[in-house]
Amino acid sequence: MTAPLAAEGLGKRFRRDWALRDCTLTIPDGAIVGLAGPNAAGKSTLLALATGLLGPTEGTISVLGLDPRRDASVLADVGYVAQGAPLYRSFTVAETIEFARRTNARWDDRVADGLLTVLDAKTRVGALSEGDRGRLALALVLGKRPRLLLLDEPFAGLDPLAGREFLQLLMDGVAETGATVVIASHVIADIERVCDHIVLLADGRVRLEGNVEELLGTHRILMGPRRPLGTIRGVREVVRERHSGRQLTLLVTTDGPIVDPSWTVDRVGLEELLLAYMAPERLPTPQPPEKVPLRWHG
Amino acid sequence: MAWVTWRQHRPQLLAAAALLAALAAAAVGTDIPIRAAYHRDALSGCLPPSARSGCDLIVRHFQGEFDSWAAALRGLTVLPALAGLFIGAPLLARELEHGTHRFAWTQSITRRHWLLAKTSLLAAATLAAAAVASALVMWWRTPFDTLEGRMAPSAFDLEGVVVPGYALYALALGTLAGLLLRRTVAAMTVTLIVFAASRLAVLEFLRPRFLSPLTRTVVASDGGRQAGDWVLNDTLVDAGGRQISTAREDLAILHAQHAGIDPHTYLVSVGWKRVISYQPASRFWTFQLFEAGLFVCLAAAVVFVTLALVRGNPG
Repeated sequence: MTAPLAAEGLGKRFRRDWALRDCTLTIPDGAIVGLAGPNAAGKSTLLALATGLLGPTEGTISVLGLDPRRDASVLADVGYVAQGAPLYRSFTVAETIEFARRTNARWDDRVADGLLTVLDAKTRVGALSEGDRGRLALALVLGKRPRLLLLDEPFAGLDPLAGREFLQLLMDGVAETGATVVIASHVIADIERVCDHIVLLADGRVRLEGNVEELLGTHRILMGPRRPLGTIRGVREVVRERHSGRQLTLLVTTDGPIVDPSWTVDRVGLEELLLAYMAPERLPTPQPPEKVPLRWHG
Repeated sequence: MAWVTWRQHRPQLLAAAALLAALAAAAVGTDIPIRAAYHRDALSGCLPPSARSGCDLIVRHFQGEFDSWAAALRGLTVLPALAGLFIGAPLLARELEHGTHRFAWTQSITRRHWLLAKTSLLAAATLAAAAVASALVMWWRTPFDTLEGRMAPSAFDLEGVVVPGYALYALALGTLAGLLLRRTVAAMTVTLIVFAASRLAVLEFLRPRFLSPLTRTVVASDGGRQAGDWVLNDTLVDAGGRQISTAREDLAILHAQHAGIDPHTYLVSVGWKRVISYQPASRFWTFQLFEAGLFVCLAAAVVFVTLALVRGNPG
């Protein structure tokens, strides 16, 4: 089975600035992927590269085994909601659906209709609330019955209730079609609820990638009195250290149980983990790959 | 795609239809007095090639009465440009401006197919509208064309097959400008400038040379104008064939006036002649086909570039 989305040394430069660099990743089939990272981290660029809207400056990207730039036919299997869910504002809801029906070879009215029963078909898209527009955008991509769903900041502009509803509709649709989903968001809390796989981008590079369970299982927070750091048994690597008064807090990757009683060992939350990897000044120095069990770069 | 194109460009297509309807109404309305004067016995007896004495007065009377109308018609030169400004320029610029290309170009249909389908449908509509406008102008100008010919730019640019050619070129130009500039207003401005520049360049430098111009030598006193030709050059030469400057001509006329001789007779007596280079009226359709073909080829080249670039990186 080919990976729904795979990149190898992928880079994209706009004029002189790299929006994305050295991006290598493989998204497992059926995963719900959270594409996290601060603003301008390269999330939108990665998704635009995956849809063929942009072409890579270097490296390769493959979507469902195909190069989206060369085989535009792959778009039939990809559902993409761009940032802000751009739609034709002068179209009515019914006309927007008609547009999708006519520009897609495969179109499932049932999926779309099921989502849109609450909307008046004659309303203009420009007059819809953000939540309803998100619902319409979701109906448009799910109606394609895509194998890969790419959502760029789908929660921006939605209030928490609408966001939750959107997520529920999304997960229902995905459960039905079995699609792989990539959700780009700079709000970790949004991703945390549903994602089982994480790709963290910062400054155009992949900082952390992996299964959420695995990542949380191999990272620990250690707290103890401030002291010079030697080796700690069970600790593979210190990702980040923070001093506050006489207290020392470490985020570490582990390769065994930590038994040293002078440390309080705690599990780490996803948000805390991602924030630690995001902060550029606290990055661990690059290590030879054989010592690194998880793929992180930077 | 036909439905998509119709839905997205409905306002422009309806506006074009309304514009044509208004044009037709104006043409019919203004045509009534013109035809009435034209069909008066005095004028119809004077239609070329008739050259009864006094006919020049009757024709001049008709022209004096209606030439300002024919001049106003020249305003329609901008008509083909409207296709570029209001259909071509927004075609891609509006999508790129609002980000809706990210929606349209990520459906199953490829963006080349999308663009090709839309531009060909819009081109067909533009061609039809331009052909109707051109036919209307030709019908309205019939009396003027009979009396003055239609080879001169004031008529040539508004009639025949060049009008659809111009419109097609403007449409293609607007589309490319929209893709490159990504802003509707900027694309409209650039389209207008480039369209006007290419029209002017062809008119000034190419059209006079489509076929080598004919020359005619007449005596200096002759007005030298023959209705229907497009006069490119009208110069006075002396007996030895050397060109005479306007200043020298004026001086000679002044000299004759002071001497109490009729200037016309004087110029003939010194052996001066007029050499007129012109494109004859008979070349009208040949030139129409040349120029229309040229603009259709330009349009095709621009569309080709647009299709190649749309695969690029519009983001």
